[in-house]
Amino acid sequence: MIKTLRWIVFLVAALAMNFPVIVTLITSFKSARELSSNPGLWIQSPTLANYASVLGNTDRFNIYAYLLNSTAAVLIGTLLALVVAFPAAYAIARSQIGRRLLLPVVINLRAMPLVIFALPLYMMYQWFGLLDTWTGLGLILAIVNIPLALVIMVNAIGEVPIELDEAASVDGASAARIMLLVVLPVIRPAITTCFIFGFITAWNEFLFGLMLTTSKAVPMTVGASFFFAASGGGVQWGTASAVMILGALPPALLGLIMYRQISASMTAGAIKG
Amino acid sequence: MALLKPAESRLFLTPLTGFLLLFLGFPALVNLVYSVSSVSFETLRSPVLTGFGNYTLVLSDGEFWRSVSFSGRFAIVTALAECLIGLFLAIFLAPLLKKHSGLMAPLMLPLMVAPAMIGLMYRLVLHEFAGPLPYYLFLWFGDSPAFLDVNNAFKTLAVVEILQWTPFAFLLFYMAYSGISPDIREAAALDGAPWYRVLVWIDLPLMRPTIAIAFFIRFIDGFRVFDNVYALTGSGAGGATTSLSIYIYQAFFKQAAIGKAVAASVLLFLASLAVLTLINKLAAGRRRA
Repeated sequence: MIKTLRWIVFLVAALAMNFPVIVTLITSFKSARELSSNPGLWIQSPTLANYASVLGNTDRFNIYAYLLNSTAAVLIGTLLALVVAFPAAYAIARSQIGRRLLLPVVINLRAMPLVIFALPLYMMYQWFGLLDTWTGLGLILAIVNIPLALVIMVNAIGEVPIELDEAASVDGASAARIMLLVVLPVIRPAITTCFIFGFITAWNEFLFGLMLTTSKAVPMTVGASFFFAASGGGVQWGTASAVMILGALPPALLGLIMYRQISASMTAGAIKG
Repeated sequence: MALLKPAESRLFLTPLTGFLLLFLGFPALVNLVYSVSSVSFETLRSPVLTGFGNYTLVLSDGEFWRSVSFSGRFAIVTALAECLIGLFLAIFLAPLLKKHSGLMAPLMLPLMVAPAMIGLMYRLVLHEFAGPLPYYLFLWFGDSPAFLDVNNAFKTLAVVEILQWTPFAFLLFYMAYSGISPDIREAAALDGAPWYRVLVWIDLPLMRPTIAIAFFIRFIDGFRVFDNVYALTGSGAGGATTSLSIYIYQAFFKQAAIGKAVAASVLLFLASLAVLTLINKLAAGRRRA
């Protein structure tokens, strides 16, 4: 009895929370003619025409460019965050320096509305020619990713026994060598988690993409919204749905494959942050 | 512990510190200077100091206060609802999820989709001709509300936000709930305590720190909301859905009122700083007690 109730609550919750995704998925398989007569949740004659049109006809709306822009900027943002945060995490975990000021400041950064920094960054980017470039967008995505990456790595390095460092030190290894050749391999799972988490967060970012790019480096989230604004004579819902599904697919797939690691690290990041 | 010399520690911290100073410290400084200057897109590099006029302009702008009120109400309503529903789901579904852990995946999927994308998707869901929700409401009840008009836009956006982010609160609560030792519950059950007493006197007190953190994170994220609101309504329905982030964005990009936008940014920065300081003090006090 109560077991049935649990299943019902689960189904209702899963359906309600995923409703927009489900509707978009269904609509992406409907022809334009079917859509005008059947906005319901079933498909009379499924078609791949919307996907063919999005992937085949790239004159007006080049989805490959948006996917490429997102991938490039997201990779820069995710990898840069790891490269910058790892040595800092090592120093914080292995000495007291940085624990009192830098770590709390970075953790609190996650709670700062980043729109505050967007306007001066826009002006800065204009001076340095970084507007509408992969590098420019990637740099700010790194800022977005750094807080969680730092927390996850500080925690992971804190669990590596210090005896490991000491043994390497006795053998005459320098601090940099110990960090890169002894500690880094041990915390590889945490690095992977940071990468996946950073990739999803950065891919889904919208505000900076909207402000700092205009044509050459527009990411997928912003590109998808162009599609809604640009089409005169009403939105083509079928093709729009296909665009949204394709644009949401990379982080969703990554997330669904790795959801166990993500749930653990999300909790760790929130609790210890 | 003396493996790492202080000089080496500082060296390892340098890239991160430098990066943050360049990309956050410098912009913060620019913000401060520009907020007390007269500046336009033509004179970007030569701001003229003019005093606190920009702040007066912002503080006497009715639109500004309307956006503060929107963000504040939005943050409280969504954070509360997300935590309450999340708490219920975490505890009620715990036995089910323990047996079938794969069921977590659909409950976490909303967290993987960009809020901006979700906003766009709801344009379809709510569309009066193409959207399934109005279609079924008409079919079953003969009527469908105008989801995005002045009266309903706030509620609609709040529901959109709640449905996407309840999974976040749920996830934290489920992890905390699963982490409670079953021995404690069994001991209480042996003493004859009914489930609701176990819940009120054991589970909830043990989960209190997690609940506070989840509420705080969701409140902050609700207050700075931009993506899904912008994608779904713009600032829509006659400015009724202008959040503070959207206000700043529009002042800058649509009205080219740089001084006003920057002054509003500084005010938001100070408010966030005040809230964060308070929270950190409370947390530190709790830890010491």
